[in-house]
Amino acid sequence: MKLKKWIQSLIFYEILLGMKETLKHFLKYRPITLEYPHVKKPLPENYRGMLGLLRYDDDTEKCVGCDLCEAACPSRVIRVVSAEVPGEPTKRFAKEYYMDMTRCLFCGLCVEACPVDALGMSQEFEWAVYDKRNLHLNKEQLLAIGDRAFPEREKRLEFQHPNVAYFNVSFKDIPEKEF
Amino acid sequence: MFETSIKLALTLSQIGVVMGVVLLTVAVLTLLERKVLSWMQDRMGPMEVGPYGVLQPVADGLKLFFKEDIIPAGANKIMFSLAPIIVLVPALIGFAVIPFGPNWTIDVLGVEFKPFVISDINIGVLYILAFASIGAYGVILGGWASNSKYSLLGGLRSAAQLISYELNVGLAIVGVLLLAGSLSLVKITEAQAGGFWNWFAFDPLPFPQFIAFVVFLIASVAETNRLPFDLPEAESELVAGFFTEYSGMRFAFFFMAEYANMILVSCMSTVLFFGGWHAPLPFLQAPGMFAWVTGIFWFTVKVYFFLFLFFWIRATLPRLRYDQLMRFGWKVLLPIALGNVVVTSLLAYIFPN
Repeated sequence: MKLKKWIQSLIFYEILLGMKETLKHFLKYRPITLEYPHVKKPLPENYRGMLGLLRYDDDTEKCVGCDLCEAACPSRVIRVVSAEVPGEPTKRFAKEYYMDMTRCLFCGLCVEACPVDALGMSQEFEWAVYDKRNLHLNKEQLLAIGDRAFPEREKRLEFQHPNVAYFNVSFKDIPEKEF
Repeated sequence: MFETSIKLALTLSQIGVVMGVVLLTVAVLTLLERKVLSWMQDRMGPMEVGPYGVLQPVADGLKLFFKEDIIPAGANKIMFSLAPIIVLVPALIGFAVIPFGPNWTIDVLGVEFKPFVISDINIGVLYILAFASIGAYGVILGGWASNSKYSLLGGLRSAAQLISYELNVGLAIVGVLLLAGSLSLVKITEAQAGGFWNWFAFDPLPFPQFIAFVVFLIASVAETNRLPFDLPEAESELVAGFFTEYSGMRFAFFFMAEYANMILVSCMSTVLFFGGWHAPLPFLQAPGMFAWVTGIFWFTVKVYFFLFLFFWIRATLPRLRYDQLMRFGWKVLLPIALGNVVVTSLLAYIFPN
């Protein structure tokens, strides 16, 4: 046994084993990497990427300006300036909506906090920019992200609910939000 | 006067061809190394420039050529600019004595001319070893002149490493010199004519130099600062070692010198231990006029095999620790090389050819 070990160390047995292993990989060349910008890895369904604001299928914004996302955010990414919908004192909307994505840690707490599902996390992650200020997003940019990331839109909440009368609105004249 | 000018023109054109081939091989090697390494590590390597990334060396060369050349504040400017030249020139100059093909002498307008070796001097091996040592000066000077602690540490490490491993290179060669009876690389190659059983690495009588070959290979890997002995440029410890502060063409000089040294060492192990231009089996050598075709072919094949071995070792082994390096050099390789010299000389005395 000792002799065997001695001979093995003499002929660099372990190094030869390692070289055999690398040669095996060299001869059976099967790359496990992708050519990234050309080929992209499929992302999981629940991937938490860039945040976006969503709309209903009639192009009205979902956001009701409740500020719950701002309260839920651990990194103080979000700033909401809420306002009444003109002419409709019972309804509010986000007049301004800012996100400082330089601080965002993509935890998704804002999405969970939203009572009307107005926020969505897209699968976008290629947001490297030359100027940090390009990551301070306003409402229009966030809506644009939501538009291109979520083409399938929901019906308005009033129509979704099984008991439409709950909202105390008739089918015929649903008040439009005006901005 | 006429003869001298003919001789000058022939030699200069020969030098031009050899330098061109060597620098072209350097360019090919930069790509080949990255490709071979990535294939061994289940990656693709460079794929962007040209089909399968084959034009990557061109892109690299252009990038390095147009990069800003920075001399750090506080650096010794003369030494800083001199160091890359001192590294590159000895690496290229060694090819002057390497025989690439059969030792023919042809007559061009009354001038004797050897087409496959630039200069067949009778101390070829010593010449290469001497210039390899001068290359170490460039490394040390570059490390010292950069005014950076990483460069200085890299330079110092390389000094210690080159001194300890050059000794082993020299001693490993002694056995071959004893058997061939000459320091001229052409004569050494000619002594290995015939099949592969006549090559010094396998020649059964008086003593096969295979152990010496292994010692030579390990020591030359250490001498060219390649993994697993790349302590002078250990990127995880010293940023890039002695060329941390270099950029642009000066960096390219260090880079080219490293690869040229690799080619030189591969040529040397081919010539000294693996029969130079001789084919492994006698019938694989073309007769008469076309012997030079197979000669250059087999030489290239052998050299590229050794270069592949360099990459292969690099893909397999991690870097040694500094004390391990020194212990291995002085306590393992040196006794083996010395023992090989003793045994070879005794057996060469008992069984003279």
